[in-house]
Amino acid sequence: MIEAPRHPLKISLEKCIGCVHCLTACPTKAIRIKNGKALILSDLCIDCGECIRFCPHDAIESQTTSFTDLDTFRFKVAIPATVLYGQFDNATLPHEILFALRRIGFDHVYELSTICELNNAAIEAYIDSHPRPRPLIASTCPVVVRLIQHRFPSLCDLIIPIEPAREIAAKILRANLPRILKIEPAEIGIIHITPCPAKMVSINYPISMEKSYLDGAVSIRDIYNPLFQAIRQSKEDTLMCQLFPETIFSGIGMGTALSGGETRGLKNHRTVAVSGVRDTMRVLDQVEMGLLKDVDLLECMVCPDGCVGGPLAVENRFLAMSRILRLVNLLGERTVVDSSDMSMLYHKDFLSFRHPIKPIQVPPLDNDPDRAIRKAKRRINLIKKLPGKDCGTCGAPDCKTLADDIVRGQAVLADCLFVKEKK
Amino acid sequence: MTEISFQQEFEIKGGDFVRAGEASCEIKNLLKELGVAMQVVRRAAIVSYEAEMNVIMYAGSGRLDLSVTSDRVQIVVDDRGPGIEDVELAMSEGYSTATPEMRELGFGAGMGLPNIKRNSDIFKIHSKVGRGTRLEMTIRTNGHRL
Repeated sequence: MIEAPRHPLKISLEKCIGCVHCLTACPTKAIRIKNGKALILSDLCIDCGECIRFCPHDAIESQTTSFTDLDTFRFKVAIPATVLYGQFDNATLPHEILFALRRIGFDHVYELSTICELNNAAIEAYIDSHPRPRPLIASTCPVVVRLIQHRFPSLCDLIIPIEPAREIAAKILRANLPRILKIEPAEIGIIHITPCPAKMVSINYPISMEKSYLDGAVSIRDIYNPLFQAIRQSKEDTLMCQLFPETIFSGIGMGTALSGGETRGLKNHRTVAVSGVRDTMRVLDQVEMGLLKDVDLLECMVCPDGCVGGPLAVENRFLAMSRILRLVNLLGERTVVDSSDMSMLYHKDFLSFRHPIKPIQVPPLDNDPDRAIRKAKRRINLIKKLPGKDCGTCGAPDCKTLADDIVRGQAVLADCLFVKEKK
Repeated sequence: MTEISFQQEFEIKGGDFVRAGEASCEIKNLLKELGVAMQVVRRAAIVSYEAEMNVIMYAGSGRLDLSVTSDRVQIVVDDRGPGIEDVELAMSEGYSTATPEMRELGFGAGMGLPNIKRNSDIFKIHSKVGRGTRLEMTIRTNGHRL
């Protein structure tokens, strides 16, 4: 497969007109406009995809696995995120969606909601056996993990070292499929179908293991049309239901597509569920200041309302949410995962991280402490000189960031049109 | 050669729960940008947050002065509040004069001052009833705690 970039987000130079929408939308101030085009600073980008939502020119491309890349595999398995079940109208049932995935070329489809339930149970087991520290933070959202590594390094120890459901599912398949199919492991492609641009990074550059068990991630956006057509055709296929094997779905697992999906089932614990990247940052700030110590589990999802609000989903998140909630209610709260199976996998460390999450040092103003202090002082003086209008025409998202860029030697005061005019 | 220090002051308004924590958050982010060690940042964040909250909860207004040099972070908080009658008692864990309303908001566990002391390397407190309270906290940045 093609060598993947460190970040999945790429600016299309043809489409980008150098406006300021993405600039101000970026929660980590990782975008600048240079030479009339947006530029993503890779040290600061956390792959949240906020810029995709705000770009009016569709100029931010997310580099996920393309459908044609999959032909390199002899046997292709799809693991669709449960968000996919909310993308089609109410009359389209989950097993029809899974069937349509086979129709468009996957040899096997692995249903994820049961593994999501398994994952929830493993998180509960971890919380119960680790009375300290608090609050523990769920690791399902890869952007949250990256955000913590970069911006809240002292919170790395709070991340629950349980692999997310998608990796567990792929790990189970990796362990069993070569034996069952009698083909080489390398010939099997295990592909996640996702509304999230960051999954590609977590696959290509895994943080908690040597190598991801997944081979790629196809975005819901890219697969939507062929899937839609296949669902339409399969509606006329009366044999479809008989042809498709019985699939067990988990209501508990299905709910993890939504914010609160990991906390809802924890009846005997104190939990907090946060969604949206800015609110997540606000809450993590509070944790870093010593708050939320009485909370057992903090679930953070950077997309609004959870994965269902992912930037690569197609259906608006309110409709998708309503459909998934309907499925959750239909399926009920009964567990489908055997607790002794879970306990066995948990104690065999099948579900845990291979290595802990380590902080990533964001470059300080200067490596020399005295020089860093000098630069900080200079930055305060620069901020006083700038108009504070945060117009973005200098290419930085706001005046404070321009001042920061200047002391870091990446911009000059004359980049500010207001300062220039005064001279 | 004189020591290079970074100084910034923050006004804190008593009763302003909405903006509570903003100064501490800014301090925390600044220390990260200065390349201060993670654990020192954490301790400074806890210290400044607790001190900031004390002003917001008990005083009419106050000021937080931050000063950073290559080997220490100093946080001085002065408030024009009621002052503390019995400093020794206030320093004991679990003692609090918080109102039921404050407790409902999750404050007033009587851990504020002890927590500040525990996370500082040098801690000084001066208080005068009817005038106000001054807290001086120093945290060394070389990573070694006293």
